[in-house]
Amino acid sequence: MRRDVQAIILLLLGGAVLRVTWSDAYLNYVREGMRPFLFISAGLLLAFGAMAMVDAIRQLRTPAKVVAIDGLEHDDDVDDDHDDDHDHDHGAWSSWLLLLPVLAIFLIAPPALGAYSVARETTNAIPPAEAKAPPLPPGDPVEVTLSDFVGRAVWDSGLTLQDRQVRMTGFVTPNPAGGWWLARLSIACCAADAIGTRIQVQGAPILPANTWVTVTGAWTPGGGTMSADAIPILVSSSVDVVPEPRNPYE
Amino acid sequence: MTEPTIPPLRTSARYRPGALEYLALGLIVLVIGQRWLVDLFDIPALQTGATVFVAIMIQATPFLLLGVVLSGAIAAFVPASFWRRVLPKNNALAVPVAGAAGALIPGCECASVPVANGLMARGVTPAAALAFLLSAPAINPIVMVSTFVAFPGEPELVLARFVASLLTAVVMGWLWLRFGKGEWLRIGPRTHLIGSSSFHTFRLTATHDFLHAGGYLVIGAFAAAAINVLVPPAVMNTVAENPFLAIGAMAALAILLSICSEADAFIAASFTEFSSTAKLTFMVIGPMVDLKLISLQAGTFGRAFAVRFAPTTVAIGIAASLIVGWVLLT
Repeated sequence: MRRDVQAIILLLLGGAVLRVTWSDAYLNYVREGMRPFLFISAGLLLAFGAMAMVDAIRQLRTPAKVVAIDGLEHDDDVDDDHDDDHDHDHGAWSSWLLLLPVLAIFLIAPPALGAYSVARETTNAIPPAEAKAPPLPPGDPVEVTLSDFVGRAVWDSGLTLQDRQVRMTGFVTPNPAGGWWLARLSIACCAADAIGTRIQVQGAPILPANTWVTVTGAWTPGGGTMSADAIPILVSSSVDVVPEPRNPYE
Repeated sequence: MTEPTIPPLRTSARYRPGALEYLALGLIVLVIGQRWLVDLFDIPALQTGATVFVAIMIQATPFLLLGVVLSGAIAAFVPASFWRRVLPKNNALAVPVAGAAGALIPGCECASVPVANGLMARGVTPAAALAFLLSAPAINPIVMVSTFVAFPGEPELVLARFVASLLTAVVMGWLWLRFGKGEWLRIGPRTHLIGSSSFHTFRLTATHDFLHAGGYLVIGAFAAAAINVLVPPAVMNTVAENPFLAIGAMAALAILLSICSEADAFIAASFTEFSSTAKLTFMVIGPMVDLKLISLQAGTFGRAFAVRFAPTTVAIGIAASLIVGWVLLT
């Protein structure tokens, strides 16, 4: 592969990484803690790309110096697939594939995972670390995460949720059996390992899938306990449509 | 031997469109067709696949870069004599030493492939480099801590993971020493990567390794994204009932899902229906064999290597998980 094409692929990839990191779009794919490493990666890619470009330009200026190492005839600045010093190293074509993520980021900009991923899952409530959940912090309503709510409702029989108003933010996932779930995904590393959490919302108007909402309401028994498949129920007192949070994952 | 012939300098080169021109043309077409592309991807399954694909690439890129920077540094700044001094002369002893050294370098599996390649290019015996390749992503401190966090109250699972992974890596190293053939392994000639200075060598090696391995990472990420969309998670729960099927299924899942070794403990923990030994198998196989790794290894060491190495590693990994699981987890 030619040096100048190599340089352009590196520069494009560095630019793509810089773009998603700069614009917070990276939060659709990975955790917030990756940010400094992504900036370093973008910087490295751009630096390697720029230096490869300098090499390529020098090479263009002194074409006679391009001498065959492997006995194959090499043109100077006129290219074919056998150019440069890499062709005996099979698979140089593989570098072209690095354009795929670049194109996906610049042209499609895939959004955060949503209702489609949640609806496919069967488990909902992973057993929490502590057997007994501590009491909810003060507040009326109190802000909680979906996984905290589900953990308390399913694995602590809702004891700590009784007589409390809670407020949660998530997106609408239609329930095939009627109504909709309030859902949120959490990631451990990147979106490939996303795990969804769902809560059946009662007393709320029907909303389209993937609408972000803040729901205030109270837990009510009936969703099942002590089972990874249980989906707890929330009786809503208010449902507000909100913009997608900066970090779509929990 | 004939003297290398230097082609005559052409004074008026006939114009032929080359890679650069095709690249420019392709980009222009894609930018014009962008609206249509976005509409095409307006299907939830495709969008999910695209998100997972980009997510794996974004997550893996810093680790792959770490790996190629290390392999570049090995090529440029670490003299070959260093490895002769640190590693035992006896190859059979060098294998466990290299395997245990994997516990020191915090990195994902994407980083370890170029590093192992760099080690071999510097004269480290392939068996030792391969033991390092397998153990580094599986037993490093970050992975151990994340496993500890993912399984609260089950520290024996962390120990089991460490022991079973190291055991697999060392056995694989010894197997290579006994049965491995040099011709299966393609360690690319690296003379063209020697630059005018140490820094130049470092830069050429790192750039070359990144471009080369990066393309294979794309194939692996693509396959993992496709599996993520195509395999319904509901299939898993029915498999979990049968203990033998469960262990095979968890090994298969580790290969297909291609999750980073630093995150796989959290996924393993989410398979609540499965036995501890099945979860252990998932965590032992995942960092050693998965779609993106098979692709990376085939690209780096050659296809002849990958078709032998990956299935053997799976077999040894399952055996090690069963033995260690039986001793430590029951």
